[in-house]
Amino acid sequence: MRQRTALPYLFLGPALVVLVILAAVPTIYAVNISLQNRTLSAPDADYVWFANYLRLFSDDRFLNALWVSLKWELLTVSATMVVGIGLALAMFEAANARWRAILCLLFIIPVLLPRVCAAFVWKFSFHPLYGATTWPVRALTGETPDLLATPWGAMLAVAFVDVWQWGLFFAVIILKLLESLPPQPIEAARIDRAKGWEIHSFITLPMLKLPLISLVLVKAIESLRSFDLVYVMTRGGPGISTETLDMYAYSQGFIEAGNISYASSMAVIMMVLTVVMFTTIWKRVQK
Amino acid sequence: MAHVECRNIRKSYGGHEVIRDFNLSVSDHEFVAFLGPSGCGKSTILRMVAGLEEISGGDLMIGGARMNDRDPGDRGIAMVFQNYALYPHMSVRGNITFALERAGVAKDEIARRLGAVVETLGLGAYLERKPTELSGGQQQRVAIARAMIKTPEVFLFDEPLSNLDARLRGHLRVEIAKLHRALKTTSIYVTHDQLEAMTLADRIVLMNQGRIEQMGTPEEIYTRPATLFAAGFIGTPNMNFLELEAAEGRLRDGVLDLAAPFALAPGKVTLGIRPGAVKLVAEGDPGAFPVLAERDEFHGETRLLALRSGSQSLLAAIPATVRIAEGERLWARVEEAAMHVFDTGSGMRLAA
Repeated sequence: MRQRTALPYLFLGPALVVLVILAAVPTIYAVNISLQNRTLSAPDADYVWFANYLRLFSDDRFLNALWVSLKWELLTVSATMVVGIGLALAMFEAANARWRAILCLLFIIPVLLPRVCAAFVWKFSFHPLYGATTWPVRALTGETPDLLATPWGAMLAVAFVDVWQWGLFFAVIILKLLESLPPQPIEAARIDRAKGWEIHSFITLPMLKLPLISLVLVKAIESLRSFDLVYVMTRGGPGISTETLDMYAYSQGFIEAGNISYASSMAVIMMVLTVVMFTTIWKRVQK
Repeated sequence: MAHVECRNIRKSYGGHEVIRDFNLSVSDHEFVAFLGPSGCGKSTILRMVAGLEEISGGDLMIGGARMNDRDPGDRGIAMVFQNYALYPHMSVRGNITFALERAGVAKDEIARRLGAVVETLGLGAYLERKPTELSGGQQQRVAIARAMIKTPEVFLFDEPLSNLDARLRGHLRVEIAKLHRALKTTSIYVTHDQLEAMTLADRIVLMNQGRIEQMGTPEEIYTRPATLFAAGFIGTPNMNFLELEAAEGRLRDGVLDLAAPFALAPGKVTLGIRPGAVKLVAEGDPGAFPVLAERDEFHGETRLLALRSGSQSLLAAIPATVRIAEGERLWARVEEAAMHVFDTGSGMRLAA
């Protein structure tokens, strides 16, 4: 019996060691740095304990980043789900097996593209002078609209690229979920006089409640890591209107002041917030 | 309540025709069972009546109106599925009232009708439960309640008892019979179980390979099967079939030599005898033929005896109290009235 209980540790051991080195060490290091007053310009540093954290809450730019991050989360998660569910239902209702296969293939391509590539492609496409998407406006009015130069325009443009990647991918997943449902309840609903949209709002989507909530959580976590998209397309601009938490932390740490300790304290706060938020949401859902 | 009529209904998938020229008229209040082996097209026809399956040709009339292009919800039908098809995320109450809510029936009217249906089917204690918290029999009862509350013109049953265990099946079968007696709604019931068809139906439509093999009351089909298929499908244990040659008022195969029940043209015939009609008699009894007892199966009430006569073998159902040793030589006899004669080539019943 002893051997049997020891065996799992033997197999798990190496993997756990790698995980601990990869995940725990940087985390502990970040927490440690966040308690000091370290900058990139000076080799030595002292412990200032929670001074960085206290400073954060009187930093308007940090509070702005918090607000931008929240807006970004709500916007991208809801838009992704709406686009995903909408396209999936449209394919489920209107497309035959052959078209579904073709569309699914097309819809998966954007998410296969690395974020940085997607960001560059669309940034160029939004370019006021050379962009493809701005071309109709140029041709019709002669103006050169700079979408990324207005606060809401920039936010929506970046969110658009995010939804272009994930909304289409989610449409494929949701279509497969719909196809996996047993057909009889849908048939029963048709006999029960449910019209097309009623079947989905009363029968199919409620039947998919749990997987859809899981998708929301996956997207919410994914949206938190949108640094590369924002970095390439706007660098948080114009001004600080698209500066999310990770973007601000990065500019504090590496672009502007080199305030590595201050940036670390932000990263730690983000981590704590994320963990707390998602565990409470997940527990709620499980009930 | 309504009359259902199928006129020359066809169904083809791509170029493959599975049902051709299906004609059937179900009158008001009638309970018709579609009986047949799996793949005979009985469920396809039911689904075409329900509107879940496109009709490739012909006319479907319910209550005198052509239904081919109407939505399933507008045909005045209700359906009970084999796997219950309940809405898994809704309570029993939600499942039963869903259709009335969709149809915009007033709240107090829904409550009144729900009360009546729930009482009939004894579902009062389960109203707030989810379908997964119920047993199979209870789930099917909820499905029947969901169909009943709509007070449809026509009830459609698609093998409703096939997923239940034997005891529950018998119990629910009696309940369906009672419900039909009380409601008198026109019903079409699809099943592969002959016992269900025989006990429930006013009329059985026996189907094989997309066509109607025979149509009639359970008694008609049992006592006068029109074809070899009908004879072999109905009745447990299965009918014995003996391949014989008709000539000069006798049926022979070289060993067996029986008197023909009526005048027959010379040729190959198949003689059908139900196991219960084979009687063991004393030697010398008129019409008796010698047989060899090969195997003896005890079935409780009866004993099923496998007999052999030359190259032909047949089963005889005899009272369980009679004891026969395997290998014993016996004499058997069959009443002329219990003989079913079929043309071996066409499979059709031959009559005097």
